[in-house]
Amino acid sequence: MFPFQGIVHTQTVKRLKEMHTLTEVETLSGHSDRVWCVSWSPNGSLLASCGGDKSIRIWGKEGEKWICKSILTDGHTRTVRSVSWSPCGMYLAAASFDATTSVWSRKAGEFECLATLEGHENEVKSTSWACTGNLLATCSRDKSVWIWEVTADEEFECASVMSTHTQDVKRVKWHPNKEILASCSYDDTVRLYREQADDWECFTTLKGHSSTVWAIDFDKTGSRLASCSADATVKIWQEYEPGNPECVATPDNVSTWKCVCTIGGYHERAIYDISWSHLSGLLATSSGDDSLCIFSEIHSSDSRNQPQFELVARVRGAHSQDVNCTVWSPTEEGLLASCSDDGTIKLWKLERDEK
Amino acid sequence: MSQFSGALQLTDLDDFITPSQECIKPVEIKRKPGKVGKLRVEDDGSYTEISHEGEETHLEKAKITLNDCLACSGCITSAESVLIAQQSQDELYRVLKENILLKQTGQSSQEKLVVLSISPQARASVAAKFKLSAQAAARKLTSFFKSLGVHYVFDAAFANNFSLIESCLEFEKRYKASETTKDSLPMLASACPGWICYAEKTHGSYILPFISSIKSPQQIMGSLVKDYFAEQWKRTPDSIYHVAVMPCFDKKLEASRADFFNEIYQTRDVDCVITSGEVEKMLLQENINLNDMEEHRLDALYSNDVEDQLTNHQGNSAGGYLEHIAKFAAVHILETNIEKLTYTVLRNQDFQEVTVEISGKPPLKFALAYGFRNIQNIVQKLKRGKCQYHFVEIMACPSACNNGGGQIRSEPNETQKNRLQAVEKIYSSVDVVDPFDLKPVKELYEKWLGGKGSQKAYAMLHTQYHAVEKSNNAINIKW
Repeated sequence: MFPFQGIVHTQTVKRLKEMHTLTEVETLSGHSDRVWCVSWSPNGSLLASCGGDKSIRIWGKEGEKWICKSILTDGHTRTVRSVSWSPCGMYLAAASFDATTSVWSRKAGEFECLATLEGHENEVKSTSWACTGNLLATCSRDKSVWIWEVTADEEFECASVMSTHTQDVKRVKWHPNKEILASCSYDDTVRLYREQADDWECFTTLKGHSSTVWAIDFDKTGSRLASCSADATVKIWQEYEPGNPECVATPDNVSTWKCVCTIGGYHERAIYDISWSHLSGLLATSSGDDSLCIFSEIHSSDSRNQPQFELVARVRGAHSQDVNCTVWSPTEEGLLASCSDDGTIKLWKLERDEK
Repeated sequence: MSQFSGALQLTDLDDFITPSQECIKPVEIKRKPGKVGKLRVEDDGSYTEISHEGEETHLEKAKITLNDCLACSGCITSAESVLIAQQSQDELYRVLKENILLKQTGQSSQEKLVVLSISPQARASVAAKFKLSAQAAARKLTSFFKSLGVHYVFDAAFANNFSLIESCLEFEKRYKASETTKDSLPMLASACPGWICYAEKTHGSYILPFISSIKSPQQIMGSLVKDYFAEQWKRTPDSIYHVAVMPCFDKKLEASRADFFNEIYQTRDVDCVITSGEVEKMLLQENINLNDMEEHRLDALYSNDVEDQLTNHQGNSAGGYLEHIAKFAAVHILETNIEKLTYTVLRNQDFQEVTVEISGKPPLKFALAYGFRNIQNIVQKLKRGKCQYHFVEIMACPSACNNGGGQIRSEPNETQKNRLQAVEKIYSSVDVVDPFDLKPVKELYEKWLGGKGSQKAYAMLHTQYHAVEKSNNAINIKW
């Protein structure tokens, strides 16, 4: 692998670009079909994966090697599309094309299916736990986003069903420290939700992408959101709270979110996933062009309203087919996981090039 | 934007294929033995079949009826367009125009008797829109519809008396049977067509036995008009055109069910359902401000009916099922009298429970669950055998029927919530009656139905549900 000496898009280059190298550390094989999603446990010790073989695999590090510790096979009758760990790391939720979401509890290293959430009309595409661990969100091809509340006796009750998207909902993602939910869809939009009175409501719709929005991720503070799309761009959305110094209007005293940056020209096909590292602030993207890209924010005079990002590393042919998902380790800076239609999971290490 | 309730909209889905393309209802194909001929596409898009012998046959277009749609597990969106053709204010206008034409050409005997029943929720919506009392709205609407040529304007709340009495009796029966029959409790309310359609399409045979077999007030009104009154008026059911004014779009689906179709006379118990919103459209079309309308004396539904006065029932706009069943059960099962029920709000305002208990007997538990999210929780609890309630009043719309999808929208300077509050206030301003005490109801049970629990009472006041098989047609496979 060699660092990509990319075309410099900014007109005036005031400083030398800091290039990084993304090096493959390990390939994890085991899934017998495409791998749709990988998810790190909150303490970074375990990696969960799922895919077309209807199974969930749990990977852990032994010595220097990552090995498959458990295979959960009896939860779903069709593809498992996504997996998500609860903030405490004791529960794992899995969304499946069989229209259900399974919740697994981890007791003494063993995983046990605690509940199967039914209600979606068809394929469940994504699931996400809120920062408090009390709420779980799911979304589906039935165009709806559901919020489930975890009761004291480990029961899951439907707290809301929101049908604001007009097409297949691809991904749900909670804000890192508030009970605010984001979703994105085949209808090219991102929508944000909050609890209002005793129900949930969509309080804003982010329009800008010209094709399916495949994934979204918040930065560490939660005041910025990154989205990636089949239009092969990444967009950065900034929150403007009521009373913001820029005087951006906030009708009904609700924050306004505006697109402040569009990153394009790097991926050649749909960007399927984006991960915003809470440790390094770097963005990782994975695409249908089989590549992985890493973007870093350039320090600029107005990073809030006009942030700029540059490509610092790229691996063409990271996988031999579509890279469906990529996610930064929450605990080890520079450690990245990816998975692909080629049936493998890869671990990568990002390192700054010696000058 | 679909006007159906949320529960139904969820079953309307597809992101890649439009409903018409996706329609999977197999159309009957008549095959003749022999060699296959040719097809010619005409300039107007129609097809002509040319047989091997050169004989030309114009081919008819395959038509999908609303009943096909209802019996199918596929989309519901195509049903919507079929509905608009069959049940709208335009259809009512068509019938009224036909009557006028018949009169003009001296064929008055062919005229249809047009009967219109207004539900109290729809009436409250119209009253709120024109800032009228329920009573004044009822009188002015009577004037309006009569000016268009409608013969009778009735208050559909009258039919609710039968729904409530039968619900109480069914509950008592199910409670007694619950010792030996597993799927008799909880009893689930049946008046909401959005909920029924969702249950039939999505949960099928598992949930259906729990649903009360009582017809909704709309359909009981249908039985009254097309059976009892038809006989009184010496008319055949097909010579009466019965229109229901409802707060809800889903009610159109209900009226179209095969269960409510009279095969002998080829007529429906309720021929056409229009929403309060569509009544507003009619007023606009006629260029009439309802406030300017004269107040007309109300049509008495029954000779011994409360004279020229509206009446309603205890409970909220869902119809008062929980309220009546809980009080009836207290008397007939726990042998105690309860004046006022205590509602405890659970997860949200649309999910509340009522417990009736006396020492020494197991308590009776009731819940109301409105809106799709609360329906989900009840259904899932029921599936896991964890539903502790004896009766659940289930409605597809949050805040029940006053908030129905067919109601008149709020003004630009008014929030939907404020409008709903105004509608609720008007709805609950009407004097309530106890259905068991009403003389006309008692008389109808005797004269029309031949007593409570009779075969006729069952035929006129009860119905059944049908699980919709999920289709496995290749085009229906979702990737």
